[in-house]
Amino acid sequence: MNAAYEFVTGPLAWIAWGIFLLGSAWRLISMYQLAKKKDASSWAFLDLGFSLRSIVNWLIPFNALGWRKNPLLTVTTFAFHVCLVAVPVFLMAHVALWTEFFGLSYATLPDNVADIMTLVVLAACLVFAGRRLTQKDVAYITTGKDWLALAIVALPFLTGFLAYHQVFDYQIMLIAHIVAGEIMLAAIPFTRLSHMVFAAFTRAYMGSEFGGVRHARDW
Amino acid sequence: MRRILPLLILAALTLVAAQALAQESITKLAPEAFGKFQRPPALFAHDKHNEKAKLDECVVCHHGGADGKQDKSASTEGTPCADCHKVKPAGKATGLQRAYHKQCIDCHRAKGKGPLACGQCHKR
Ligand code: HEC
Ligand code: HEC
Ligand code: HEC
Ligand code: HEC
Ligand code: HEM
Repeated sequence: MNAAYEFVTGPLAWIAWGIFLLGSAWRLISMYQLAKKKDASSWAFLDLGFSLRSIVNWLIPFNALGWRKNPLLTVTTFAFHVCLVAVPVFLMAHVALWTEFFGLSYATLPDNVADIMTLVVLAACLVFAGRRLTQKDVAYITTGKDWLALAIVALPFLTGFLAYHQVFDYQIMLIAHIVAGEIMLAAIPFTRLSHMVFAAFTRAYMGSEFGGVRHARDW
Repeated sequence: MRRILPLLILAALTLVAAQALAQESITKLAPEAFGKFQRPPALFAHDKHNEKAKLDECVVCHHGGADGKQDKSASTEGTPCADCHKVKPAGKATGLQRAYHKQCIDCHRAKGKGPLACGQCHKR
């Protein structure tokens, strides 16, 4: 079992991080080339001020009109994204591994706080799934790709939670967790999760178009 | 009272002896220096561990040193790690949690035997 643990925390981790970083760079570069070729005029009016104005305004809960339309979804989305990023980055066990392998160390979340944030992510996943099933307009545009993205995100949190509490066989659960985490990293550039890489540019595009061309707000 | 007194003394002695014995055979590590613990105490049955791992030299773990320099030849068994390794170390010094993790996990990795993952040592 040590050999399996060393494999998933060694070579497989390098592969997952490599796919995530190189894949993200490749997606950004090819999108840039496509945009320049097919939509050159957008590049002309891309404006840093209007871009930042749009990004900042959408980052404030309930500020954008879109956020006010559906309060449950807004609260869920904000809580979900904060926990989704903060837990893996600041989890004490994850930082302990950065220390073990690279001598890096930085601020960590207390275990009991991270534990609750993990449950928040899982609860949010249930809200998102329920909405896709019960709300007709959302169900209509839901495809397999949306379910795949949701499953890829939920699995590292579910298996991480079970491993932390040492439910079922600890070593098997931990290895399953690490593999699930690595699948998520590698899937970011190539699935719906790529909005993590593109979101800022999407807002920049909309913000510049509304600000510089239509002279209106986009929030 | 006169009949109970010897019994009481005997009971007290047994308690003291039991405590002394318990201290001699460490099975878990939970140094007070940490204050509040986030994880369950790490499993470490001192004598059994060292027998099974064939560690005859105490200095492999109980090294000495001062002023930022480790002395791998000075044996310090009986001195708690926390005497030299602070929970919040100054500068580049090895902190207490790091000292345990580095010593325990590095050897397990090198020997290809012994626990590497959190929950194998910090068992609930
Ligand atoms: C694998 C590492 C390791 C080896 C080898 C080892 N020890 Fe220890 N020993 C420890 C640790 C860890 C502690 C706990 C110290 C602490 O938490 O501050 C300890 C504690 C002790 C204590 C204090 C016990 C108490 O009740 O407080 C004594 C005495 C001791 N060791 C003696 C020895 C002797 C003698 C040897 C050699 C025969 C030896 N040790 C070999 C790791 C080791
Ligand atoms: C008498 C003081 C003293 C005691 C007792 C002591 N250490 Fe150290 N240790 C040092 C010094 C000094 C250094 C070198 C400076 C540093 O890294 O902080 C060091 C360094 C280390 C390192 C880093 C070595 C490396 O390869 O980088 C580890 C790991 C370590 N100690 C673990 C332990 C453990 C575990 C214990 C208890 C079993 C222990 N030490 C007890 C003084 C001590
Ligand atoms: C110098 C090498 C070395 C150091 C240092 C060391 N170990 Fe080990 N440990 C071993 C080896 C070798 C084994 C495997 C023994 C076997 O199963 O044959 C082992 C096994 C174990 C086991 C499993 C015991 C069992 O019964 O299967 C535990 C738990 C453990 N170590 C905890 C610790 C902790 C905690 C520390 C640090 C305080 C530590 N070890 C430091 C070499 C080391
Ligand atoms: C080889 C055994 C071993 C492994 C593996 C291990 N630890 Fe530890 N850990 C120890 C020992 C020994 C101590 C010091 C004594 C104690 O606190 O039980 C310690 C201390 C700690 C402490 C400080 C005390 C506390 O409870 O707040 C934390 C936090 C911790 N470990 C977390 C982790 C995490 C997270 C992992 C996995 C990334 C991990 N450990 C893996 C042996 C281990
Ligand atoms: C390289 C990949 C990864 C490795 C090596 C790794 C390793 C670990 C380890 C060792 C633990 C602690 C288990 C324990 O305490 O016994 C853990 C817990 C956890 N990890 Fe990961 N992980 C990885 C990726 C991820 C990812 C991508 C996420 C989420 C996006 C994630 C979320 C979690 C969560 C939620 C916990 C449990 C927290 C809790 O309930 O307290 N991990 N992970």
